[in-house]
Amino acid sequence: MTKTPLNATESARPSLDDALQTLFDPENIAVVGASRTKGKLGQAVLELLKKNNYRGKIIPVNPSGGEIEGLKVAKSLSEIDEPVDVAVLSTPVNIALDALEECARIGVKVVVGVTSGFNEAGEDGSENEARLQQILKTAPFRLIGPNCEGVVRPRSDLQLTFSPMFDGLDDGPVAMISQSGALAGLMALRLGERGVGLSAIVSSGNETDITAADLMEYFGADPVTRVILCYLEELRDGRRFAEVAKKLTDAGKQVVVVKGGRSGAGTRAVQSHTGAMAGDDRVVSSIFREVGVIRARDSVSAVDATIALATGRKPAGRRVAIISVTGGLGVEMTDMAETEGFEVPVLADKTQKALSEYVPYYGSVTNPVDLTGVVLANPSYVGRCLEAVCDDPGIDIAIAIITFVPNQTFVEALAEAYKKTNKPVLIIWTGASRSAASGDAFRENGVPLYDSPARAASGLAALRGAGEVQ
Amino acid sequence: MSARDTLQSWVNAGRKVVHEADAKALMGDMGIPVPERDPANGPLVVKLCHDDYPHKSDHGLVKLNVSPQDAPAIAAEMSAKIPDGVALVEAMEKNSVVEWIVGCKIDATFGAIVLAGPGGVLVELLDAGEIRLAPATPGTAAQMLGTGAGAKLLAGMRGAPAAHSAALADLISKVSVFFAAHSDLISEIEINPVMVRADGAGLVAADALIILREDAKT
Repeated sequence: MTKTPLNATESARPSLDDALQTLFDPENIAVVGASRTKGKLGQAVLELLKKNNYRGKIIPVNPSGGEIEGLKVAKSLSEIDEPVDVAVLSTPVNIALDALEECARIGVKVVVGVTSGFNEAGEDGSENEARLQQILKTAPFRLIGPNCEGVVRPRSDLQLTFSPMFDGLDDGPVAMISQSGALAGLMALRLGERGVGLSAIVSSGNETDITAADLMEYFGADPVTRVILCYLEELRDGRRFAEVAKKLTDAGKQVVVVKGGRSGAGTRAVQSHTGAMAGDDRVVSSIFREVGVIRARDSVSAVDATIALATGRKPAGRRVAIISVTGGLGVEMTDMAETEGFEVPVLADKTQKALSEYVPYYGSVTNPVDLTGVVLANPSYVGRCLEAVCDDPGIDIAIAIITFVPNQTFVEALAEAYKKTNKPVLIIWTGASRSAASGDAFRENGVPLYDSPARAASGLAALRGAGEVQ
Repeated sequence: MSARDTLQSWVNAGRKVVHEADAKALMGDMGIPVPERDPANGPLVVKLCHDDYPHKSDHGLVKLNVSPQDAPAIAAEMSAKIPDGVALVEAMEKNSVVEWIVGCKIDATFGAIVLAGPGGVLVELLDAGEIRLAPATPGTAAQMLGTGAGAKLLAGMRGAPAAHSAALADLISKVSVFFAAHSDLISEIEINPVMVRADGAGLVAADALIILREDAKT
């Protein structure tokens, strides 16, 4: 099932690839509804573009003219005397619809519709939606949104949004597509805090033109992007989404999806068992699994899953070594690993021998390894123990658990051990805020970092591949 | 008449639910084994098929273990209840080791999908259907049978013989291909149960239902 183009005059429209290429690195951006008034969306968009050092030309558009933030204001889109790559609409809906018609006339390449008030508003938005559809029939531009929070791409210093949640992100291996801007903000902020960079973020809103499947396909061809993280409420073209996901996961990319609205599948009269057995949510889980998608229960577990995948390290099997400065956390992590279908096997003799140099007689060197509190007095020991379990040929994944940390050497020794292996390693640090050490060495080296076994279990589950992550 | 022509003629006649006798005739043409009709030897099953009564047993329209001598009278009795129905007299399958459900439908999000899982009475007990996009290749169908609770049933539990999984995988793939190719006319196909015999002995579709699309073009 292919998507029917919205547009009759397809030749006049930029291809999806061209449009997205332009969108992510535009030479200029017209901000329709640019404002001096704090609190207005158009003011925030302008401020965030400037603050994040956008490299191209910003053209504020406002009928009152003059200057805003030192930039010359165009009274209308038609007044701009150069080709416009991207126009962002942050006005009330009536003005936005007029502006869309103007975008069509002057040949804007891509429009980002922040404006709300279309089909998401139900009955009240139906007239606006009809007019939008009418414009799109012949428009030469491609549209992101409407009803979205915008587009962010750290690689080109592009911060085209009114939300400060995306400030200060680094480029990196994760691309995000979200039908909710707020959830994109939450996930981006959490990823950034844990040192994971983003290749791009698109708040896709209503997806009236460009859909999640379109964006996913584009990111699939981006060599920097390893993981595509999606928050979806409604799959606009589910069949194509499934086909694109399969193509990407077959090629080694990871796709993590939070599908909202699980509980919305109402009961309805069905004439067959097939209808009853293939309820909406079961179908989503089944088809996602079939096409290699990792389905996360919620946005937090999706972030935890993504962090483990972002390193690009893939385990050869499901054998996990767990080393911990405390027995209790090691036991909890072992239970969770086994619940997720992993093994926590006895370590090789050679590994046990290496560990016993650092572990006192009342600890344990089998697996899970209980290093005991003795290692707190010897900051480099934990790093050496992590190296030892990673060197074990019978181990595919290592998890190191620390609580409070008395000094910086501790963190650095673990980060060094992480760098020395190619195997996936997850670090659980339960007491970061009670430690006399900074976690920068973890973040700078992209070490997957968790605050508890439960959240590390989400990362571990993601390393299994397609399936569900709690 | 091709399968498409047959389906189209049903759509044109305003049918929505196609009863078992017609559905099975189409399955037979598709190469899916169906029970022999009007055999000389019993035991037999007598059913009265009508589009308005897809759940036949709820209306007393199924009788099992009937002898060839008794079948005509029983069929006549059922026909008297529902005058415009079609009486179906078939061989009763006695050699199956497991019963399976195989169904296809149009999912609102993903389009054509196929479901397969433990069928017959187990449909009510287990919610163990495996779901994939349709059409499903024979390889995908085999993989559906190797997954989940159903896999143990097929392998044969507590000394029971293994079922003919290869024949079942072939049926699943065939039905899914047929469905996907005709999903402009059909909204659902269901075969329940597929009576699967021991490995090497094949299977037979004991009941079938086709639901036509409400929006199919006449």
